[in-house]
Amino acid sequence: MSEHASISEQPDWARARAIAAGVDIGAVSSKAVILLDGQPYAFSQVATRTPKESAFNAINAALAETRLKLENIHYVVGTGRGRTQVPFARKTISEVACAAAGAVHIWGPSVHTVLDAGGQSCKVIHCTEKGRATSFLWNDKCAAGIGRSMEAFARLVKKEVTEIGNIALQSDKFPKLSDFCAVYAQSEALDLIRSKVPLEQVIAGYHYAMARRIGTLAARAGVKKDFVIVGGLARNPAITGWLDSILKVSRLAPKPEWDPALTVALGAALFAAAFSTAGQRDGRNYQGG
Amino acid sequence: MVKKRSDAIIEHFRRITENTHEYAKSLQGKGRFLAGYMCTHVPEEILYAAGIIPVRILSSHVSQAMTRSYIHETYCSFSHDCAYQGLQHNYDYLDLIVTSSSCIHMGEAFNVWVRFAGFQDKSFLIPYPHIIQTKPAGGFLVESFGEFKQFIEKFVKKSIADDDLEKAIKVYNHTRRLLKRLWEFLRRDNPPITGPEVATVTLASQVMDKQECNQMLEQLIRRLEAEPGKAPSGVRLMVTGGACDDLGIFDLIEHLNYSTNLIFIDSCTAARYFWFEVPEDRPDKLKAIAEGYIGRIPCPAKDNVPGTGEKKRFRFIQQFIEDFKPDGVVFIYQRFCSPQPMDIVALKPVLDKLGIPSTELELDTTVPVIQFGTQLEALVEIIKRVVPIE
Amino acid sequence: MNKGKISAGLDAGHVDTKAIIIGGHEILGYCTVPTGFDVVAAAGAALDYALDNAGISRGELAGIVATGIFRDMIKVPPLDVCGTVPEYVADAKGALFLNKNSRTVIDVGGNIHKAIRYDQDGNILDVIQNDKCADGLGIFYTTMAKAMGLSEQEMSESALKSTRSLSIAIQCALSAESEAVDLMCQGMNIADVADAVLKFIVERVAAMCTYMSLSKEIVVAGGLAKSEALVKRLPGLIKQDVSVLGLPEYAGAIGAAINYENGGK
Repeated sequence: MSEHASISEQPDWARARAIAAGVDIGAVSSKAVILLDGQPYAFSQVATRTPKESAFNAINAALAETRLKLENIHYVVGTGRGRTQVPFARKTISEVACAAAGAVHIWGPSVHTVLDAGGQSCKVIHCTEKGRATSFLWNDKCAAGIGRSMEAFARLVKKEVTEIGNIALQSDKFPKLSDFCAVYAQSEALDLIRSKVPLEQVIAGYHYAMARRIGTLAARAGVKKDFVIVGGLARNPAITGWLDSILKVSRLAPKPEWDPALTVALGAALFAAAFSTAGQRDGRNYQGG
Repeated sequence: MVKKRSDAIIEHFRRITENTHEYAKSLQGKGRFLAGYMCTHVPEEILYAAGIIPVRILSSHVSQAMTRSYIHETYCSFSHDCAYQGLQHNYDYLDLIVTSSSCIHMGEAFNVWVRFAGFQDKSFLIPYPHIIQTKPAGGFLVESFGEFKQFIEKFVKKSIADDDLEKAIKVYNHTRRLLKRLWEFLRRDNPPITGPEVATVTLASQVMDKQECNQMLEQLIRRLEAEPGKAPSGVRLMVTGGACDDLGIFDLIEHLNYSTNLIFIDSCTAARYFWFEVPEDRPDKLKAIAEGYIGRIPCPAKDNVPGTGEKKRFRFIQQFIEDFKPDGVVFIYQRFCSPQPMDIVALKPVLDKLGIPSTELELDTTVPVIQFGTQLEALVEIIKRVVPIE
Repeated sequence: MNKGKISAGLDAGHVDTKAIIIGGHEILGYCTVPTGFDVVAAAGAALDYALDNAGISRGELAGIVATGIFRDMIKVPPLDVCGTVPEYVADAKGALFLNKNSRTVIDVGGNIHKAIRYDQDGNILDVIQNDKCADGLGIFYTTMAKAMGLSEQEMSESALKSTRSLSIAIQCALSAESEAVDLMCQGMNIADVADAVLKFIVERVAAMCTYMSLSKEIVVAGGLAKSEALVKRLPGLIKQDVSVLGLPEYAGAIGAAINYENGGK
């Protein structure tokens, strides 16, 4: 998976006062977002290899569509699992704070709960209207890897990971799978396939089980509206759809201009912009720290 | 930089935690009997009165899967590790092993030693009541301690006099008071010792001869009282939860990207180990010991007031919060532990009401440093109200 | 050349589909293709390549026997599968064919690992398979290799060069992946992380082996048997010597093919 695109028509970046970037090194994918004076300029998403490699891959993929070079960026903030392995980042901020900041920037001040459902981990984050995180709950180990296991599941059922969500929604009736752990659910899915249960139903059953797993975590943390889902799993309509009905809290739909998987990188870029401006003005443009 | 004199003593304690077998064997070399124990519900005083040194059995943190044919997969890694060490004959030099019935996982680890590691004739399981907040519990425990005392007397072929018990009680109480004083340093804004160092000393005390330990503690405290502060004041973090002998986690808490101080650890291998006293100079020594142990900060496996379901442990935690003033709380519990997470679920609303943010770290054989570091830094960022503002 | 009856064995596994052509107790040709999205296509492709290798056409085949997790799914035209054999039966027969002194085969595959004990005629004496929590060791290995930018072979070679012993908690492959990634994000040496991954896999396999007594000679089959680092570690944990079968990932396919020869199902 490698997609990158620039958003705005090439403004003259040389005139920008603050060129800031956020790099989110996740376990499965790495993302970069570049802001020019707080406005989205370019972004990218690449498959994670080693963290350091991925940092360069992500930022270069974002830069590729522009005439910007890495050295022109005033400030880079690293986040995500691999944040300490981003050599060109001046500071690191946890993905919790970044998810809150990014989500409120995208969806607005009404956001109160952010579910970051990524490749390796799920977190539920509560935030203020200004995008400041106030509490969070990290998944327990048994709920790890739900996002990544989607890829393994897709291979198991011999479909593309981008289509299984839609396939899952096609069945009204489907078998119940273990909703405690992805490994068990996949094991049971395989048994069902071999017992000739229609593939679409197995796919639906697996998605429902995983949605319930995430839902358990979210319910424990408490979900208050407005509720949004970010991270890779936000692109899976079956997961998000079923989470809606399991949690019974209406969720704000993704915005067309922002892939929800970029939310955390965006948050990091916002921090970078704030640090950059603070440095330039010699004052403090961010709270805390 | 001048090395503080207290550092040398702390280093001595640390070496003991890193070489527990060597230290234990040196005690044997001096002619002492050794009794390994797997849970702090064991009344160490009774052993000590008989001239036996109780030695806490700790985790080796070796990643292995062979114990899965002995105890269930879904038992905590601490119990698996203890079982493993028995099967590997790492502790064959012990003269005796003792445990009290507390949680199932440690109980099974103990059983593995008894049945498969050659400790059948050198072991004792003390029946310990589960519902300790009831009238019958005290009497039950006294009787149980009585049987244990008889077993030990047969084992060392000598009777245990009341005087011996009183001496042991006083030695142990002295340890408890000294350790308390040590932890009290952390209430200060700029203490002469760090939380991880206090944790190290406390862990060492659990494997040491208490008289030797007391001497070292007295020296250490004297020196610390004369020394200036060592740690710059940062965000104050308190740990609460279950057994954790992985000092690396406590080090991690103070080595984040932000300035943080570990100011208290409410765990059975830290503060709960010693935060009580056995009544002294009572005529009935076993009754006094039973009273002391029942009155401790309860383990969640035993904390359940019949009728109300109240958890007595929470009062202690609230007092610690008042005294040590944490900015945030870090819950720690072993993966697959049942009692600890139940307490967490019940305790979180209490913290929410006090406005204290928290995070949970799920312990296992190994420490996922990056993931834990992320959770801890996220907690600190919440405490510091970090947010980008245009 | 008297090839006798020529039969084909197909092992439609979770990750790879293996095909082998056997005639007159000789291996004439073989091929592995990734199972991918289309199980039937993969089986057909593997068969055709194997036939090519052997210089034989489909028409010359007396029969095709299938084994593996998808054996029932590939019993469709144009594949003329005449029978199927459970994996453990095929494994035993295949291992015996490759090493007639073997009496136990430990098969470490993509998703499942198992051990089978058998007699000199290949009759099954005992079987053990991983518990659910230990699924997916082979896939875990492949995923980690990709994450480190290494081929599967390179990862094994890298593990052998490890100078620092790192650990991963032994639970399921999903949490192990999480920890391995954590180690990489800590900046740990790739060789050391690779070694930790291999250690995890071997510990899991060895733990499974404690549930069944193993009879000499013990051989290792399956894709992961090709990992020198794995095979090196295993004897120390199960306290017995092992040897790797030649063509270790083909044990199942061979066993299936032989089954036809012997007039099997």
